[in-house]
Amino acid sequence: MKGVLHLVRKELRQVFRDPMMLRIVFLMPILQLFILGYAVTFDVKNVALLMIDRDATSASRGLVDRFAHNEHFVVKRIADPGKGIEGYLRRGEAVLAVVIPKHFGRSLETGKPTEVEILLDGQNSNTAGIALGYCSRILYRFASDRATEGFARSPSISRAMRFIEPETRIWYNPELKSVYFMIPGIIAILLTIITMLLTGLAIVKERESGTLEQLLVTPLKPWQIIAGKTIPFAMLGIAEMALATTVGVLWFHIPIVGNVALLALLAFTFILATLGLGVLISTLAGTQQQALFITWFFLQIFILLSGLFYPIENMPRAVQMITVINPLRYFIAINREIFLKGGGLGVLWPELRALLIIGVCVFGFATLRFHKRAS
Amino acid sequence: MNDPAIRVEGISKSHGAAVALSSVSFAVERGEMFGLIGPDGAGKTTLMRILTSLIDADEGEAWVLGFPVRSGAARVREAIGYMPQHFSLYSDLTVAENIRFFADLFGVAKEARVARTEELLDFSRLGPFVKRRAGALSGGMKQKLALSCALVHTPRVLVLDEPTTGVDPVSRRDFWDMLERLRAQGVTVVVSTPYMNEASLCRHMVFIHKGRILASGTVGEITALFRGTVFSVEGPNLQAISTRLKNAVEPELVRILGDAVQVLALGRSREEVGALLETMRQGGVVSHSREIPPGVEDTFVSLMRE
Repeated sequence: MKGVLHLVRKELRQVFRDPMMLRIVFLMPILQLFILGYAVTFDVKNVALLMIDRDATSASRGLVDRFAHNEHFVVKRIADPGKGIEGYLRRGEAVLAVVIPKHFGRSLETGKPTEVEILLDGQNSNTAGIALGYCSRILYRFASDRATEGFARSPSISRAMRFIEPETRIWYNPELKSVYFMIPGIIAILLTIITMLLTGLAIVKERESGTLEQLLVTPLKPWQIIAGKTIPFAMLGIAEMALATTVGVLWFHIPIVGNVALLALLAFTFILATLGLGVLISTLAGTQQQALFITWFFLQIFILLSGLFYPIENMPRAVQMITVINPLRYFIAINREIFLKGGGLGVLWPELRALLIIGVCVFGFATLRFHKRAS
Repeated sequence: MNDPAIRVEGISKSHGAAVALSSVSFAVERGEMFGLIGPDGAGKTTLMRILTSLIDADEGEAWVLGFPVRSGAARVREAIGYMPQHFSLYSDLTVAENIRFFADLFGVAKEARVARTEELLDFSRLGPFVKRRAGALSGGMKQKLALSCALVHTPRVLVLDEPTTGVDPVSRRDFWDMLERLRAQGVTVVVSTPYMNEASLCRHMVFIHKGRILASGTVGEITALFRGTVFSVEGPNLQAISTRLKNAVEPELVRILGDAVQVLALGRSREEVGALLETMRQGGVVSHSREIPPGVEDTFVSLMRE
């Protein structure tokens, strides 16, 4: 056990002596948090909307006004360009176009069905989807308000129409701020990078420079070397997570509804897998450069399949199966749950169980491989 | 306590299809300077890694101070100090921190550590540089620090893999002096080297080529194996003599050494080479030639060709 302690002390001494390393561990994550915290947002604001009113009646103008007064859209009213609408979308001058047909007002008066055409630039499917949602909501409101008016004017006609007005209450993130959703996820990614990348690099560095061979002829056993190489980065990772969380709370005003101690405990379970992967990568890579590329490979898959940007439920079935072995997926879910909803161990048990299974398997396999390469 | 420092019996090791060692056997007496001599790729490093329990042999067994390396790895590691070929230290740690780190890993107690560090710094003359980072040391000093780290637990057997490869001649001589002082203190020193001229600094040696031992013994025993004649040739233009000779016999049998050209006449070619030298002497290219006793290197060259 003493041997492990000496290794840990040596490792930390090396980290704190290297200004570059210090920046990687403490400064870079904060920068990333700020950049990603502000940049990665699904909030849709100021979407350019093309309004083509072919009816020009009071009814159609009423609808145009509703769009104009909505904070999500910047409405550009133009005369009917005919088939030229597509040009606006293609040139990126507008993300969507709303076309109010002729006889819109009259159709409403007489109760005939009428259609409002919405043309959408689907290039950025996220923005498009959300903008479409706002659009539909405005149209729905418009229609229901008209119906209520009609009901007031001639109750006999519309009595049969029963209106179901959805009353929406959004919990846990009432303003639907994507930053609330993103920051806990980004914190999870930062922890992954530190523990996986630095562990792998630190071991490969020793192999590259030949000091690993020197360690192997000491009375240290391979498990002690692994412990001595992973514990320092576990400590750094948790310290960094604490730092990033503090920034998230103080700067981005992310609430932490749940138990911080539970979060730390689950973080330890999570890094069992990432530290194990670091060790595994060190057995696959001959140089630090190779280690970096292999880490990058894993990291990209982990992030894309984590549900951070794209909900896992929307992925094809086969891809969903792959996410089952992605530790980041569970930890992001845990982070969001604890930060925003305050769920306890009872709710998070499936995630904890998955992390334990993945962690023990990965770490065990990595240790076996390390033993094999060491001897 | 009558076990030899190292005993190797029938060790074989293959890396895939490539045979690194094939039934190698030898013994190293306690307190002697022992050389593993051989060209690059001979299997010296593989042998040393087996001796230090870093890898297992496919066949055979080796003992260090009587402890089998395969099953007694822990005892072997305590007894042995190993300096790998591409020795390395933590360049971002200081001289003192490097020594301390390895002392800690070997579980050297505090008083012993302090005394031993003092001794090693004195021995390696690194005393003035204790606070310097290892990365900022010169090549020769790095090597001395590596040796100090390998010695920190006072091993009774020291194994060095090509310690002088790529080191300047002055540092090299310095280093051999240090090894000789250690030997005088009773440490068994096993050293591998591709430099044949360093072989004569060892009391016993084995010559390894392509994983086999071609010769073993003292300098005298090895040179007795030489079959042929060594001519030392002098003349006004050594380069010209060398070129002429290389055209006549095989190039690798000719080399310039100091102010003479040496040419090996192996087997029955003695008369032919003698006649050639006589012709060259008459032509004025050679001023003088004579037969000299073979050296270790000459013997190895001849053995490698058999």
